[in-house]
Formats: sequence, structure tokens, C-alpha cells
Amino acid sequence: MAIRKDLTEAHDRAWDRLGRAGTWLNSAEKVSIAEETRSALACIACANRKEALTPEANVGVHNSASDLHPDWVDVIHRITTDANRLTKRWFDRVVPEVLSTEKYVETIGIIAETIAVDRFHVALGLPLRNLPIPKPGEPSRESVASAREAGAWVPMVNPDDLSDADPAAAYAMYEGRGGANIHRALSLVPACVSGFFDLDDAMYLPDAMLRRFDIEPRAISHSQIELLAARVSALNRCLY
Amino acid sequence: MLLRGSGLHAGATFSDAAVVDRGAESGVPWGGLLLAFAEAAVANAPDLAEQRQAVMNELGENAMIDAAAVIGIFQAVVKIADATGIPLEDPKAEISSNFREELGLNAYKEE
Repeated sequence: MAIRKDLTEAHDRAWDRLGRAGTWLNSAEKVSIAEETRSALACIACANRKEALTPEANVGVHNSASDLHPDWVDVIHRITTDANRLTKRWFDRVVPEVLSTEKYVETIGIIAETIAVDRFHVALGLPLRNLPIPKPGEPSRESVASAREAGAWVPMVNPDDLSDADPAAAYAMYEGRGGANIHRALSLVPACVSGFFDLDDAMYLPDAMLRRFDIEPRAISHSQIELLAARVSALNRCLY
Repeated sequence: MLLRGSGLHAGATFSDAAVVDRGAESGVPWGGLLLAFAEAAVANAPDLAEQRQAVMNELGENAMIDAAAVIGIFQAVVKIADATGIPLEDPKAEISSNFREELGLNAYKEE
């Protein structure tokens, strides 16, 4: 199968990022999150929860694939398999008791990149990529001074609020982006925004092309792309 | 909203109903075929290979690959949106209020 070079390269970069220490998580933790994202899809407890009337039902122990704390595993499995039933009340229980806000956001970023690459392979009937071997290194622990409460569960960065107190990565994350809430969602950890939207540019469309209906850069049209995007969102019962 | 925009540019009216209703016709060329592929890929359903082959036969390999890429990235986008609790931006909420109501999308938020 002849996959576009830019698409394969974006996946390569995602896997390279996954194997390296992040902002708040080390590389072993990151790869473990990816392992749990995969194991959630075959987890009996997750399947039982999905069928339960309430996501708070006691559904047993997760099929865990890592040494991560069981409460962290639960966070990963819930986001992977039952995200549309997450609530602010659940979030307030998890953060900061299980994870700091920063680690929670970085966890979401890793889950998202893993799902994007894996689901692409599943859709095409290709074997999943082997997860990377964690590389040595320490998290950068770069915080973003301008992150504020802005109507989401997690603090976000308004591009207009960036200041000298913020790291360069915070400025870089919005380059070429419109600054919609989906761009801001992970902005407490700028590397997650840059990483995820690097993938997004290759798998969906770069922001600058979204409304360029006169140019069709893919083998399917804008309308076909948007129909697929809307259907996948609807299948996941995601309002955003 | 971008689906409607692409329709306006093409001088066509695409039906939002097909996004949530399997029986509805979208008006998008090969829309039904692509939606069936998306549904099978999201669920990793037993008919995934068949749906993939149907896209391959009618639209070609590059289209099949690009469709798989969109399915993959949006399966991830929804996790980010749901797990961070981001709100719909006010202008988008206003523009989409009618069709969100018509299609029953507001119920997603209440669940």
C-alpha cells in the first residue's frame, strides 16, 4: 500500500515523540500510557462499563498492560473507551488526587496520538506499529505562566495572553493555528498541542486549508472529509 | 459547519442528517460508502475489510488511505474534546444551534 510520504513521516515523528521524555512525564510513563490505550480496547471491565447505565458502576479490574498506578490506568481506559460520559465531577476527583493537571493533560495528548495512529492502521487492515522503546532523559517541566481557567475543565492558554514569562514552546504551539478551543485544550502542555496538530495537519488538513474549498489537497474532497469527520464525532457522541 | 461550507462552494446542498442517520442521503459524492467505512473502522467491525474494499474499488487506494487518516484523527480529536471539557465557542454555538437541535446533538452533552 502506497501511503503518502508526509503521512508516514508524521506517524514516525509521533512515535519518536512517544519514546522520549515529555514535559511532565518520562518516556517509560509515556509508552506505558500508549500500552494502556491499546489494552483498554480489549478490557473486559471497560466493555462492562460501556454497557452499564452509569460509568460509575463497579465493573471490576482493568486488563492492565503496565506498571502504572491502577487509578492512572482507570483514567486512561475511561478516556479511551468511554470519553463522552466523563464529567466535571469525575475530573475533580481525578485531578489532582490521581494526577496533577499537567500530567492529566499530557496523558490525554499521548492517548490521542496513539489512537490516531492506531485507528488509521486498523482502518486500513495494517498491523499496529510496535511501540517505541523508551529513551533516557528527564521531563522538561516547563510550565506555562499564562494558562488560565477559560470554561474548560483544564486551564488553557489564550494566544493573546502569551508573555515573556512563557516558554518558546508556548508561542510555537499556535503557529499556523486558529486558536480554537480544540487547539487550546492541551495548551497547558504546549508540546502536546504541537505534537497532536503535527499529526492533524497530515491526517486531516492544515488549518489554512480548511476553508480553501477551491483547492483539494487530498484524494477525497473537502465535503467527503467533513462528512467523515462529522460522522466519527457523532459515533463517539461528541458535541464539540 | 465545514460540510455546509463545502456544499455552498460546490453549489450543492449537503444533508447534515446523514451524519447521525444511517438511512439519510448526504448528497456528498460516495458519501454512503465513506460513512459505512467510517462506521466499520470506528467499531473495528467484522465488515471492515469489506467496507474498505468497497472504498478502494470505487474511489481508489489514495482515497481509501486519506479516508482512514481522517477517521483516525477524529477518533482522537473527540477524546481531547471530551476529556478536557472544552466548550463549543460562542460563534460556533450560535451558528450551529438550529442543526444541533434538529439532529439531536445537544443530547450528547446531557449524557
